[in-house]
Amino acid sequence: MIDRIVLGHNQFFGVNHLDAQAGDKKAAAFSDASRIMEVIEFSFQQGATGLMMSTHERAVGVAEALRRHPALNRELGVYLLVPYIAKYVKQANEKGIVNIVTDSLKGSSIQNKLSIFLKGGVGLVTRDVEKMITLLIDFEVAAYTRLNLKAIFLHDVMTDLVLGWDMPHVLEIFYHYVEDKYKVIPAFCTKNLPVLMKALEKTDISNPLVMASVNKAGYQVNPSLPDFETCLREKKLCLLAMSTLAAGYLRPQEAYQYLYGLPNIESVVVGVSNREHARETFSIIKSHIR
Amino acid sequence: MIKVAVIGVGKMGMLHAGILNGLEGVALTAVSDTSGLLLGGMKSLKPELRVYEDYLAMLDKEDVNAVVIATPVFLHVEMAEACLKRGLPILLEKPLSHRAAEAEHLVPIAQEKGIVTQVGYMLRYVETFMKAKEIMDTGILGRVIHFRGTVYVSQLFRRGKGWRYDPQRSGGGVLSAQATHLIDLLYWYFGRAALVSGHTRAWYSEQVEDFAHAWIEFENGARGWIDSSWSMRHHRLMEVEINLSCEYGSLTVSDDSLKLFLDQKKGRFNAGWTSWRRPDLFEGVEIDLGGPQYTRQDKDFIRAIREGGSVESDLASSLEVQRIVDAFYRSADSQGKPACFST
Repeated sequence: MIDRIVLGHNQFFGVNHLDAQAGDKKAAAFSDASRIMEVIEFSFQQGATGLMMSTHERAVGVAEALRRHPALNRELGVYLLVPYIAKYVKQANEKGIVNIVTDSLKGSSIQNKLSIFLKGGVGLVTRDVEKMITLLIDFEVAAYTRLNLKAIFLHDVMTDLVLGWDMPHVLEIFYHYVEDKYKVIPAFCTKNLPVLMKALEKTDISNPLVMASVNKAGYQVNPSLPDFETCLREKKLCLLAMSTLAAGYLRPQEAYQYLYGLPNIESVVVGVSNREHARETFSIIKSHIR
Repeated sequence: MIKVAVIGVGKMGMLHAGILNGLEGVALTAVSDTSGLLLGGMKSLKPELRVYEDYLAMLDKEDVNAVVIATPVFLHVEMAEACLKRGLPILLEKPLSHRAAEAEHLVPIAQEKGIVTQVGYMLRYVETFMKAKEIMDTGILGRVIHFRGTVYVSQLFRRGKGWRYDPQRSGGGVLSAQATHLIDLLYWYFGRAALVSGHTRAWYSEQVEDFAHAWIEFENGARGWIDSSWSMRHHRLMEVEINLSCEYGSLTVSDDSLKLFLDQKKGRFNAGWTSWRRPDLFEGVEIDLGGPQYTRQDKDFIRAIREGGSVESDLASSLEVQRIVDAFYRSADSQGKPACFST
């Protein structure tokens, strides 16, 4: 069972999908992990019993702060989003994708093998690629153990790339590895829910937990709001709804009235940055959760 | 079925390959890259994909209908030429080349053979910038008197590594990498430029500029300045903003919003402010990887191939952008002495 209300983390790290400058201002206010902990604590008291975390370098500080609050750490469900894409995009600008992979796997059991592949001449087999993917997952998750991990989400950039390239087997590798190794719910974040659900039909994954944007304005909803709604109605999945306020474009009252009229809404992730905001937002959501 | 090959499977090559393969009636069938590890990994996860270390061998052996070129800038011209000579439509990542002169000969090849070409200036497919173009084209703002345009991103605060920071391979710094997006929008909005007075500064980098600023005069009478840097704090993502002062009002457009001000009611727009935010203009796409603008761009490319038409951001258009960039560098090399350019 996943938490019905999950506190989002974007506001802590300067991510605002509507207004980049507003995002930066907010990040400045949260430059200190103790301010972030304050928001997590009062949100928890207001009913946001889950926390979404990307593997942003500053999220490591939040994880450490959480471990120093054992009571909260026991109760608060953590939803990890891997990998932290922005970091890799930045690195890709400098050293390219191949070097990111090989650098991340330095010191791992596969390092020697990799250096052979890099020299060329030896073909990679699927098993090696699977090994690399699972090692990369471990690399990302390493700093987030000893938390009450509920689910690990594959970042939408990765999920969607795999969908575009039509490599559904990668989704299976991720799904089964997370389930077996971490004993938590493997999940997918996507900007393309109908495409994901169609691709999963080619795999052994059923009734997945999926995080995707959905809001009355149709903002960041692909391919269109009606198609998304049809998919929700017809496919078997649990949705963790994100961008429910369309990045602040919608008022909470109308936003949640719409959201909770949809089927298969398991949970919602929403960011708040102060007590007043938390009280208002979470009380409206709670009034809709039956 | 339109079959696509990709040369250079880095960040942008991966993105375009995924989008195109995800579109109805389009399939990614072959890729080439210099990394054997990457090719091996892709082949093992997508066995039907044909992979090549030599792009020329790929072009000769594969029966494809279009090619994406997403390699470092110094390779663009020879690869584009190889494709065009084989009659293959190309989607080439921006910027076109180091300097305009190297790429000039490509335009007539494409035009004579009627080959679809597109250069990756994706801001033309961002909702707000598209809407701004639509408003400008109605003529309600009258003539543009003055503009200012900025593009900033927090990318570099120490010496950079890799091809992007090596002028032999990238052609330049922030001007070539990011300001070209802004210059392309201005070219789209105003047409050809006549004069550029530019200044650049390297601070973190040794060989390329981290800051670039210019006064630009366009043939349509618009005059103004642009400012760019990849070493600007507080810009997690690349942000572009353009502000226009016009005869009958003003317009400010960024990635996030569009604000129109009119002195008097014009057509269907009232006097005073009209604004749009991204959600007002958003339209979903059939597959979104990294932003719907990339999908719109790639779809436009495919549409042009299917219809035998063209796209606006083609080789000829990006050559004009490149000429502005050349003039910018020329002027900056002589401490801002205005560079007029011959065409």
